[in-house]
Amino acid sequence: MNPTDTSTATHPAAAQADLPYAIELVGVNKRYGALTVLEHVDLEIEPGEFVVLLGPSGCGKSTILKIIAGLEDASGGEVYIQDRLVNYVRPKDRDVSMVFQNYALYPHMTVAANIGFPLKMRKVARDVVAQRVTEVAALLELGQQLTKYPEQLSGGQRQRVALGRAIIRDPVAFLMDEPLSNLDAILRVQMRSELLQLHRRVGKTTIYVTHDQVEAMTMADRIVVLKDGAVQQIGTTREIYSRPANTFVATFVGSPQMNLLPGHIERRDGSVAFVGVVRIGLDAAPPVEDGTQVTLGIRPEDIRLRSAETPGADAVATVRLVEDVGAEDFVTVDIDGTRCVVRVAGHGSVSEGTTVALEIPRDVLHVFGADGTRMDPAP
Amino acid sequence: MTTRATRAPRVRPERPAPTLRERLFGGGAAGEPSRFERALYHLVLIASCIVLVGPFLMVISASLKESGQLFEYPPRWLPFPPYLGQYEKLLTDSAFPRWMFNTLFVGTIVTVAKVFLDSMAGYAFAKLHFVGRNVFFLLMIAMLLVPYGAIILPLYTVSHALGIHDTYLALILPPLCNPLGVFLMRQVISMLPRDLENAARLDGVSEFGIYRRIVLPLIKPSLVVLAIITFTDMYMSFIWPLVAVRDTDLQVLTVGVASMRNMTSVNFSLWSAAAVLGMVPLALAFFLFQRQFQARSIAGALKQ
Repeated sequence: MNPTDTSTATHPAAAQADLPYAIELVGVNKRYGALTVLEHVDLEIEPGEFVVLLGPSGCGKSTILKIIAGLEDASGGEVYIQDRLVNYVRPKDRDVSMVFQNYALYPHMTVAANIGFPLKMRKVARDVVAQRVTEVAALLELGQQLTKYPEQLSGGQRQRVALGRAIIRDPVAFLMDEPLSNLDAILRVQMRSELLQLHRRVGKTTIYVTHDQVEAMTMADRIVVLKDGAVQQIGTTREIYSRPANTFVATFVGSPQMNLLPGHIERRDGSVAFVGVVRIGLDAAPPVEDGTQVTLGIRPEDIRLRSAETPGADAVATVRLVEDVGAEDFVTVDIDGTRCVVRVAGHGSVSEGTTVALEIPRDVLHVFGADGTRMDPAP
Repeated sequence: MTTRATRAPRVRPERPAPTLRERLFGGGAAGEPSRFERALYHLVLIASCIVLVGPFLMVISASLKESGQLFEYPPRWLPFPPYLGQYEKLLTDSAFPRWMFNTLFVGTIVTVAKVFLDSMAGYAFAKLHFVGRNVFFLLMIAMLLVPYGAIILPLYTVSHALGIHDTYLALILPPLCNPLGVFLMRQVISMLPRDLENAARLDGVSEFGIYRRIVLPLIKPSLVVLAIITFTDMYMSFIWPLVAVRDTDLQVLTVGVASMRNMTSVNFSLWSAAAVLGMVPLALAFFLFQRQFQARSIAGALKQ
């Protein structure tokens, strides 16, 4: 594509839409020599949406953010910001703000200078900058800190200054690269809710990178789960949790992670069942032949523990470990050599070494094929 | 909870016997030096100070004497009344002020230019991606391995060919090519977090703006160190200024002072006065910037 004529090119699909996507990635790739970091990423983000990129370290989520910001070039594919192709547009002209993991505050500038810096660089009049800095500082409760230097601030205050610097120029979107990961656990929870409230007040499109599933699930309008540079699933928190697209998503989201039991499908007399260490009839049977190898997924909270003598139980297991986490117990049981974790409300109901029966409701099962992708039909 | 009474008794081992070192010199088990060891350390330090400071004191003493008093016996360490005639002669009846001006002029220009050029080159090598970056950098490092004496003759030939021989340019241009500063700057700048530049890029700062507004303020202590090293180096350089200029009006301090010795006699008192006066600017620079020196030396030990 000719770099000279791309700045005004409009994405064909957006021409018919009422509102353009705030950000759109079309088949974006990123390679460093032989190493592929991103593989054909397609993503559409609506204006005002809070989208979280979730995945383990090295999955390419920060790279996506940098490509959107223009700090990295895509090896292939197209990036649109409000329908404008920006592949060859400089970072400062893309109209996005970024909050970095280590805040990236300028240590030699005061809080006021840090917040006002983007406007100063855009040659905004000095009195306008001062007024905007005051407004943003009030919004972020930084009014008393304006003359201080970053080294004199706490972690939470630094984070707010970084947010202030992002907010002040009223960009199309905020890009946040693990902004809370340097904070301690208590402050992180506090800042999480502050960030959400800020998002509701400001209403800007936000793309937020994290590897913390709790952060992702509590904050996101939609979550994009990534692994090895490829999108695994895009959906709301409920969709990702209730209908994970594959075994990676199933195990990455949720703590303790989903139990995966290997087995095969048995079709007999019109009924379909999963046969492995347990035998469970399937209400929503996947469209596969008898004998097909599958993996059955069950969330720990969906399994019920009963006394060993309970009639009609799905399996009998031995309790190997009981972890008391306060409001509930995580009970690890052994079903014929296969370990399974059960989440039990309250605590002290079972003890290690005892035999228990397991009941597994049919409407909460997840069936994955041999390649790990979800097989059971949509409800 | 188990009570203390029901638990197993505590283990309380005997105090170990003193070691040979402790028996001979005293001192605690934690390894602090004994009084004897401390006295020994101080003795060594005092002896070192005498060896180091003695020559300075001798030069200062000699500069305050008339030529005839220099070799009298027994020697007088503190001449009274001090004779300031050598200083007067130096400042009024010799080319010393000119040498001092030349030294400060050349030193200042080279220092300012070098701090500017080396930090820009260091930024390029540390943060920018361009073809042949590593090759160029390796070539520069290789230049550090070439002994200075080996390039004096080629430098002389080049300066002649350029027509700058016997001018200020001959004193100024060759020292600018010393790659040590580029190496230092590159190392310092490469330690700055990349997110700072990225944040600046998104904030609308140009590449030169990042260097000027973000990088330069953050490496200020290193710039001061580079400036001091460069200025000191220039102030004390002798071989190249000796080769580069023959015009006595262009001579720098080191060459000028060396030329005060004629074939048959040397006025050691005058020479000492020149040495003392010559030390003044450097000593001033050190006292003015010693905090920067110290800040730099401990900076690496602290987590940023």
